[in-house]
Amino acid sequence: MKQHTLSKTAERIYWLGRYLERAESTARLVNVNSNLLMDLPRKIPLAWSSLIDIMGNREHFNTLYDAPDERNVVRYLTADQHNPGSLLISLSMARENARTIREIMPRVAFEYINDLFLYAKDQVSNPLSRSRTTAMMEGVMRRVQHIAGFLSGTMVHGDTWSFLRIGEFLERADMTTRIIDVRSVDMLELTEGLEPYSQLQWRSVLRSLHALQSYHLAVQEPIQQPLVLQFLFNNDELPRSLAYCTSRIRSSLRSLPRNQKPLAAINRVIRLLDSVDVAKLKAVELHAFIDNCQLQLAHVSRDIDRTYFHARLRVAHS
Amino acid sequence: MSIDWKEYQAAGLWDELINDHGGARPGADNLCQMLARLSDAELNARKTAAEAAIRTMGITFTVYTGEGSGSIDREWPFDIIPRMVPKAEWDPIANGLKQRVNALNRFIDDVYHAQHILNDGIVPRELIEKSKDFRRECIGVSPAHGVWSHVCGTDLVRDADGTVYVLEDNLRVPSGVSYMLENREVMKRVFPELFEDYRIMPIDDYPDQLVRTLRSLSPRKIKSPEVVVLTPGIFNSAYFEHAYLAQAMACELVEGSDLVVGKDDCVYMRTIEGLIRVDVIYRRIDDLFLDPKVFRKDSALGVPGLIRAWRSGNVALANAPGCGVADDKVIYTYVPQIIRYYLGEEPILPNVPSYRCVDKDSRDYVIANIDKMVVKPANESGGYGMLIGPKSTKAERRKFVRQILANPRNYMAQPMLMLSTAPTLVHNHAEPRHLDLRPFILSGAATYVTTGGLTRVAMRKGSMVVNSSQGGGSKDTWIVDVE
Repeated sequence: MKQHTLSKTAERIYWLGRYLERAESTARLVNVNSNLLMDLPRKIPLAWSSLIDIMGNREHFNTLYDAPDERNVVRYLTADQHNPGSLLISLSMARENARTIREIMPRVAFEYINDLFLYAKDQVSNPLSRSRTTAMMEGVMRRVQHIAGFLSGTMVHGDTWSFLRIGEFLERADMTTRIIDVRSVDMLELTEGLEPYSQLQWRSVLRSLHALQSYHLAVQEPIQQPLVLQFLFNNDELPRSLAYCTSRIRSSLRSLPRNQKPLAAINRVIRLLDSVDVAKLKAVELHAFIDNCQLQLAHVSRDIDRTYFHARLRVAHS
Repeated sequence: MSIDWKEYQAAGLWDELINDHGGARPGADNLCQMLARLSDAELNARKTAAEAAIRTMGITFTVYTGEGSGSIDREWPFDIIPRMVPKAEWDPIANGLKQRVNALNRFIDDVYHAQHILNDGIVPRELIEKSKDFRRECIGVSPAHGVWSHVCGTDLVRDADGTVYVLEDNLRVPSGVSYMLENREVMKRVFPELFEDYRIMPIDDYPDQLVRTLRSLSPRKIKSPEVVVLTPGIFNSAYFEHAYLAQAMACELVEGSDLVVGKDDCVYMRTIEGLIRVDVIYRRIDDLFLDPKVFRKDSALGVPGLIRAWRSGNVALANAPGCGVADDKVIYTYVPQIIRYYLGEEPILPNVPSYRCVDKDSRDYVIANIDKMVVKPANESGGYGMLIGPKSTKAERRKFVRQILANPRNYMAQPMLMLSTAPTLVHNHAEPRHLDLRPFILSGAATYVTTGGLTRVAMRKGSMVVNSSQGGGSKDTWIVDVE
């Protein structure tokens, strides 16, 4: 007997995928930023506040903290119960979603996710020094990867698996665009006499996407903006590139029933990516292009939501 | 040596493991010796391992902390010393449970049809008609096999003289079976060596038996009927169990909002493929929340039209609505007569001697002796609303006397039993703690009784309240084949 996938279950596993991916991205961003700041001269303005811009909630931050210094930003991004995008909230939401779909995952998966949440909660219960923050972020990344690997290796790769993957890759695609967007704006502010640091910045973008080593292997050229952008948008072998994420979403959608609308939406994103040579984009054009990509990705989420999670279904008549 | 059985004292009580002379009961020698050999450090390590297993397995239950303040998730309290029952002693208990549930199902079916038992004056008509759990909406409905209570959890207790009594029948939506199954898993992790020494009867076929029972209720005679578990949702105290059972049975765990009743009076669930017809609903929400069109209008947990679909015979509900009419604590006092009436047999398991406050003589006796009695309202569960005479204050007793006089139909009373005890680990020592046992009985095309059940322990010294909502814990329960 094939088990049917409830709309609600599909929605929850999709969000589990999103929240786990978001937690990992947040953890990596925090660590990469610490690392970057150690290399930058003090007069560089971006510092920690750009992390808040990547996560997209500066106004909210300002209502809670007086200054975007390291302590406050790290706290806001990791431990803050009032920040709906904080690491702890992401993990707590991942756990709540996982708790309600225990019946469709290997049972021990919930134990791992529960453990991860308890680990993070325990870690942030005391103020975090820089070295403890680094260790905790490492701990979170390692555990998320363990969970993702475990799920991949043990879950039946059927409908629910497809929703987990779609959530994961939509979140990842979104995060990749955010990181590029904010860092390239930072780059604009970095003109007069600070050009040498541009290369450092792009290096940190690659690091934020765990793609530095891959860049060296695949591109085999010194780090420079046009090549980095091409790599991050169009490389179809890099797991965090837009091309890769969108192609995974497409193949997951292809295995699902009633997929016409979301499939059409993801195809629009893929065509958009193919239609533009990102290497040639000037700063303002790049920003507009990224905006457009984010909008099209949002349409994919919307169509998935309408088709599978909140469909208005007609009741059959006998 | 941390546990010294010679120091263990359960004076005047029946202990499940240790006899009056500090020796092991039949079959328990190995277990007692093994426990006595463990050092403080080892005992602690086992206890910690059990707690860690419970935490990482996420075995929790939800406690209501009162109006407004909501509820919190607690880890399941578990004692690592198992309770042991020889199989030869268990088998007649299992037969007694089948007999009892069989008769109760016949009773419910009769009450909603011809009402022979009321016409014959065995059970007073007034008791049924005034019962708040008698549902007129159920009159004339004929569930498959004439069975209304498909999953029953019967609470058993043992008195100081060793007699096993039925304390109450939970015929509506009894919970606890997942904890029974999980206790065994924890025990296997913590004391794997014991499972080599003993022939402990397995319990893990319960989910298979449950799904077989549920499928036997399907209105559509198809090979794989669609069975779902209906939960009120994640904030319900038994949600852990709902998710656990759905997964173990490989069926969908649904909330009311996942289901919809069509114009054809069939029930469908919302899936990513569209609407799929549902045949059997193992519902874990109370009658009054099932269908806002019939019962509570403000229920957001239920499915509008569900009762219509059930009455039309297009979906089976387990347990059937209305079966609470038979687990009223006053009806309980009639169960021996009910067994004789429908089955023509003597009850195998005795009831706790009980006084119905509706009878004047009994009422006078209860009020005169209230400091020695346990007084129970007809329709509460979870140990709420009870008076435990010997532990009550004068003011509480006065309040109960007033309540009894105001509504005698709603109360029954029993002498205070001295529940049996079993050794329970307290600061590296074994101390006696009171306990009960809840086996689960499945009824559909066939009847099945769990091997043992859920043992609940009052963790506080001297306390007899075993409910997890009030500080109770639990133990793994072993039915052991002793040569």
